[in-house]
Amino acid sequence: MSYMLPHLHNGWQVDQAILSEEDRALVIRFGHDWDPTCMKMDEVLYSIAEKVKNFAVIYLVDITEVPDFNKIYELYDPCTVMFFFRNKHIMIDLGTGNNNKINWTMEDKQEMIDIVETIYRGARKGRGLVVFPKDYSTKYSY
Amino acid sequence: AHPVIDNGPPKKNSGRGSGGGRGGGRNAEPPPMPMSSPLMGKKKKPFLGMAAPLGYVPGLGRGATGFTTRSDIGPARDANDPVDDRHAPPGQRTVGDKMKKNQEDDEEDLNDTNYDEFNGYAGSLFSSGPYEKDDEEADAIYAALDKRMDERRKERRELREKDEIEKYRMERPKIQQQFSDLKRKLSGMSDEEWLSIPEVGDARNKRQRNPRYEKLTPVPDSFFSKHLTTGDKHTTVDPLQGVSNLNLPGGLESPYPGGMTPGLMTPGTGELDMRKIGQARNTLMDMRLSQVSDSVSGQTVVDPKGYLTDLNSMIPTHGGDISDIKKARLLLKSVRETNPHHPPAWIASARLEEVTGKLQVARNLIMKGTEMCPKSEDVWLEAARLQPGDTAKAVVAQAVRHLPGSVRIYIRAAELETDVRAKKRVLRKALENVSKSVRLWKTAVELEEPEDARIMLSRASHTTLPSLWLALARLETYENARRVLNKARENIPTDRHIWITAAKLEEANGNTQMVEKIVDRAITSLGANGVEINREQWIQDAEECDKAGSVATCQAVIRAVIGIGIEEEDCKHTWMEDAESCVSHGALECARAIYAHALQMFPSKKSVWLRAAYFEKNHGTRESLEALLQRAVAHCPKAEVLWLMGAKSKWLAEDVPAARSILALAFQANPNSEEIWLAAVKLESENNEYERARRLLAKARSSAPTARVFMKSVKLEWVLGNIEAAHELCTEALKHYEDFPKLWMMRGQIEEQSEHNEKAREAYNQGLKKCPHSMSLWLLLSRLEERVGQLTRARSILEKSRLKNPQSPDLWLESVRLEFRAGLKNIANTLMAKALQECPNSGILWAEAVFLEARPQRKTKSVDALKKCEHDPHVLLAVAKLFWSERKITKAREWFLRTVKIEPDLGDAWALFYKFEMQHGTEEQQEEVRKRCENAEPRHGELWCAESKHVLYWQKKIGEILTQVASKIKNTF
Repeated sequence: MSYMLPHLHNGWQVDQAILSEEDRALVIRFGHDWDPTCMKMDEVLYSIAEKVKNFAVIYLVDITEVPDFNKIYELYDPCTVMFFFRNKHIMIDLGTGNNNKINWTMEDKQEMIDIVETIYRGARKGRGLVVFPKDYSTKYSY
Repeated sequence: AHPVIDNGPPKKNSGRGSGGGRGGGRNAEPPPMPMSSPLMGKKKKPFLGMAAPLGYVPGLGRGATGFTTRSDIGPARDANDPVDDRHAPPGQRTVGDKMKKNQEDDEEDLNDTNYDEFNGYAGSLFSSGPYEKDDEEADAIYAALDKRMDERRKERRELREKDEIEKYRMERPKIQQQFSDLKRKLSGMSDEEWLSIPEVGDARNKRQRNPRYEKLTPVPDSFFSKHLTTGDKHTTVDPLQGVSNLNLPGGLESPYPGGMTPGLMTPGTGELDMRKIGQARNTLMDMRLSQVSDSVSGQTVVDPKGYLTDLNSMIPTHGGDISDIKKARLLLKSVRETNPHHPPAWIASARLEEVTGKLQVARNLIMKGTEMCPKSEDVWLEAARLQPGDTAKAVVAQAVRHLPGSVRIYIRAAELETDVRAKKRVLRKALENVSKSVRLWKTAVELEEPEDARIMLSRASHTTLPSLWLALARLETYENARRVLNKARENIPTDRHIWITAAKLEEANGNTQMVEKIVDRAITSLGANGVEINREQWIQDAEECDKAGSVATCQAVIRAVIGIGIEEEDCKHTWMEDAESCVSHGALECARAIYAHALQMFPSKKSVWLRAAYFEKNHGTRESLEALLQRAVAHCPKAEVLWLMGAKSKWLAEDVPAARSILALAFQANPNSEEIWLAAVKLESENNEYERARRLLAKARSSAPTARVFMKSVKLEWVLGNIEAAHELCTEALKHYEDFPKLWMMRGQIEEQSEHNEKAREAYNQGLKKCPHSMSLWLLLSRLEERVGQLTRARSILEKSRLKNPQSPDLWLESVRLEFRAGLKNIANTLMAKALQECPNSGILWAEAVFLEARPQRKTKSVDALKKCEHDPHVLLAVAKLFWSERKITKAREWFLRTVKIEPDLGDAWALFYKFEMQHGTEEQQEEVRKRCENAEPRHGELWCAESKHVLYWQKKIGEILTQVASKIKNTF
C-alpha cells in the first residue's frame, strides 16, 4: 500500500516535512517500497493513516533515493520507522533497547495506533522519550 | 501480499552541482509530480514534489542530530557526521556545525605541523599554480598509463562484474523477472479471458475516493461591519438626483442613469454597508417605477398638449409641493411665451394659479388669453368660469361677439342668468343666430310651457331637424301630430324615424291596419328618395318598437325589411342569426316575427320549425308552442322530434288523451319509428297504464324489433317486478342482439337483485366476451366481485379491462377507488399517479386526485387539475367542493354556478349544489337551484344515475331525485 501514502523524494523534502508539521506527530518510514518487510509495514501504516490523521502524519522515504540520513539515523535495516514532533526526534521505549526507532514490522494496527498516540501525547508534554506500556523485547529479537 | 508498483525513482535534479551560486532558488523545470496522495487531501503540503534547492545539505536546515547505537554493523560514521552526543557543546553538534568544521579543514594548511613524513603535506602543494604545457603532458602520460593498466585485465573483470550482477539479480530479481513464468502463460489466453479481466476497483472508501474540493464561503456581514468602523465614506444614492437625470430626454433609454453609478457600482473597498445598499436598491426601484409611470402618462415625450394635461392633472395631487408648482409655473410661462396663440397654455396657467389660490392672477391670465386667442371657445368658457357673476356675463357677451356661432357659449350664457325670463331671452337670441342646434332648441323648449313650446317648435318646423319634428309630434294631440308628421315628411323625406313614429302613432291609436301600409309606404318613398335601406338599423328600430310596446309596428317593420338586401341562399342562415340576436336583446316579438316570416318562406324546413319551436318553448306560452307545433307537424310530418315535443307539451299540461292522440297521429306519419314507440310506451308507463304499455311494447317488438325496444321491454317488466318475464324477454333479446351491452348489464343486475351472484357473474362474463369495450360492464363485474369480498379478483378484472381498453379514465378511477375502499391508500395513490400519466386530461381522475391528497396539498393539486383540464365540469365541481370544505361560501357558490353552467347535464353537480344551498343558502336560493335543475333535466353523473336509474325510483320526477341524491351525499371531505 506504499503508493497510497505520500513519499518524500529528497532530503530537503524530508527536512521540510519535519519542519512544517506544527501540531501533529510525524511518522517516517525509511526503507524500500519493494521490500517485503516494508510492504507489510506500509500496509499497517496505510490502514491507520486515516484514523490517526488528526494527530499524526505518515511519510515514506526510499533510503536508496534519499541516502542522506542513512548514516545519522543508522538506517541499515530493511524497514525503519521514526517519529518526530516539532523538529524533534521523539524516542520511544519499547523495551527493545533501541529507543530511537521501530525497525521491525508491526502487525497489529491498533498497537501501531497506540504507539503513535503515545508518541503524540508524550511529545505534547515536551517529552523526548516516551515509554510504551507493552514490551517488545521478547517478541521481536534482532 | 500486494504486487509492488514501482513508482520509479523521480528524476534527480539534472542541474544539481552544475551552475554556480547556492540558494539559487528552485529549478525552473519542476520534477514530475509523484502520484498525489489522496491522504494528503485538502491540505497538500507545498514541498511535495519539489526539487531540493541547489547545494542543499539534508538535515542542515533543521539542525538534525544523529545517534550511534550499532557501530557493530555497517560502516563507521564519517568524520563529518554529527556527533552522537546529544548534549555536545554547541559548534560540534549538528550537521551544520560539522560542515563548518570541514570547510575550515579544507583550507590548505601548509604549516609544518601538518607535514607528515610519509605522505607529505596533507593537501596538494601546487593546486593553486597555473596549469602549464608540461603539466598537460604529464597528465597525458599518466592517463595512458592508467588506460594501459585498465586494459590488461579488462575481460576478466567484465566477466566478473557480469557474474556479480547475475548473482545480485538472483537474490533480488526484478519484478519483471519475478512474473516471467506467469507471463509465459499469457500467450495461451483467449480473447474472452482477456476481455473478462475484472476492472481494478478502487478499494478506498467514499471520502478517500472523492477528495473534497475547495469550498468558497461568502464573506460574512459581520466582517464588513467590523471594517466599517474604520471609516464611513460611503456614498448614497440621491433619489432627486436620479429623478433629475430621468427628466432628461435621454434618461428614459438608459436604465441606469449615469448619475447614480458612482454610488452603486463602485463602493469604496472595505466600506460596504449592507443596509445602505439595500436602501439604494429601493431607491433605484422607486426611480424605475416612477420612470415607467412617466412614460405611461407621456410626460417625458415632448408633446405640448400631453405635457400640459399631465401638468394639469399633476398640480392638484402635489398641491403642497412648492418646488413643483414653481417649476410648473416656469414651464407654463415658457409655453405661453413661445406660443401665445395656443389656448391650452392659457387655460393651464390660469388653472394652476387657481389651484394655488391666486384667483386674481388666474383671472388676469385668462383675460390675457382671451385677447391672444379670441377665437377659442375653451378660453372664453374658462374665463367665464373664473370671473364672478356680472363680470362673467360681460365676458360671455364679449365672447358672443367674437364667436356668434358657438352653442356652448350661448348655453353657458343662459346658465349664467338666474332669472327664467332672462334665460329664455338669451336662448331665443341664440336660436336666432344658431337655428340648427338641437341642443339649443331642447334647452329652450324645456324652459317653456307646453303651449309655448308647441308654438316655438312649429316655428322651428321649417328647419330640417327630424328630432324637432318628433318632439313636436309628441307634444301634439293625435290629429295634430299626424299633421305635423305629414309636414315633417314633406320637409324631410329621407328620415325613417318619422315614418316609424307615424306607424307607432297609428298603432297607439288603434289603427293597426294602417301600420302595415305606413311601413310599406315608408320603404317605397324612402327608396324613391334615394335612401339606402339599412337592414340592421331597421331591425334595431324594430327592437326599440318592441321594447316600447308597439308590437304591430315592430312586426310590420320586420316583415318589410327582413328580406331586403339578402341573397336567396343566405336567407335562412341570416334570419336565424337575426332571430337569435333579437332574443338575446330581449326583443321577443321581433324574434317571433322573424320566425313567422321564415316559416312562411320555408314551410318544409325542419330546422326552422325546430328553432321556432325551441324559441316558443323557452320564451312563449304553452298555447303558442302547441299551435306552432301543430302547424309544424302539418308541414313536416316526418320530423319525429316535433311530434314528440307536441306530445310532451300536452303531457306536461296533464292532457294525456291529447298526448296519446298526437302520438297516434305520429304513428300514422312515421310507422315503425322507434322513438315514437318508446315515447308512447313512456307515456303509458308514466301514467300507470302498464297493460297498455306492455301491449305497445309487444307491438313494437313485432313491428320494429330494435335493441332499444327490447331493452325498454325488459326494463318495464323488471321495474314492475315481473322478474320471470324480464328474464325471458332478456334471453330472447340477447338472441337477437347479443352485442348490445345494456341487455347483458340488465340481465346481470336482475340476477344480482335476486342474489344469484353466480349467475350474475356468468351474465357479465358472457357479455364481456361479446362486448369487451363496454366500460360499464367491466365496472359492474368488478363491483360484484368486490361486493362478495373477492378483492383480488376485482383487481384482476379491472387490470384486464384496462388492458383491453387503454386510456379509459373510468376504469382507472374504479381501480383507484377499489384500493381506497379496501383501505390501501398508498396503492391508491400510486395507481392514481399511473392513471394520470395514462390519461392526463381526464377531469374525473383529476377531481378524484384532488381529494386523494392530504388536506394541505389539495389546493395545489386542484390548481394542477385546473391547469390540465380547464373546462372540465368534474374538476370545477371538485374545486367547488374544496371551497365548500373550507367554508368559503361565496366562492364555492361561484364555482358551483360555473360548473352547472358549463355542463347542465351533470346531475352530480346539481345535487351537490342543492345540498350546498340546503346547508348555507336561503330558501330562495334552494328553490332556484331546484328549478334550474328541473329545467336542465340532467341525466348523467355517478351519484345521479345511481338514484335515477334505480329500479324503485323509476317514476320519480327530477326534483324528487335531486332531493334524494342530495340527502344521500355526506360531507366527508
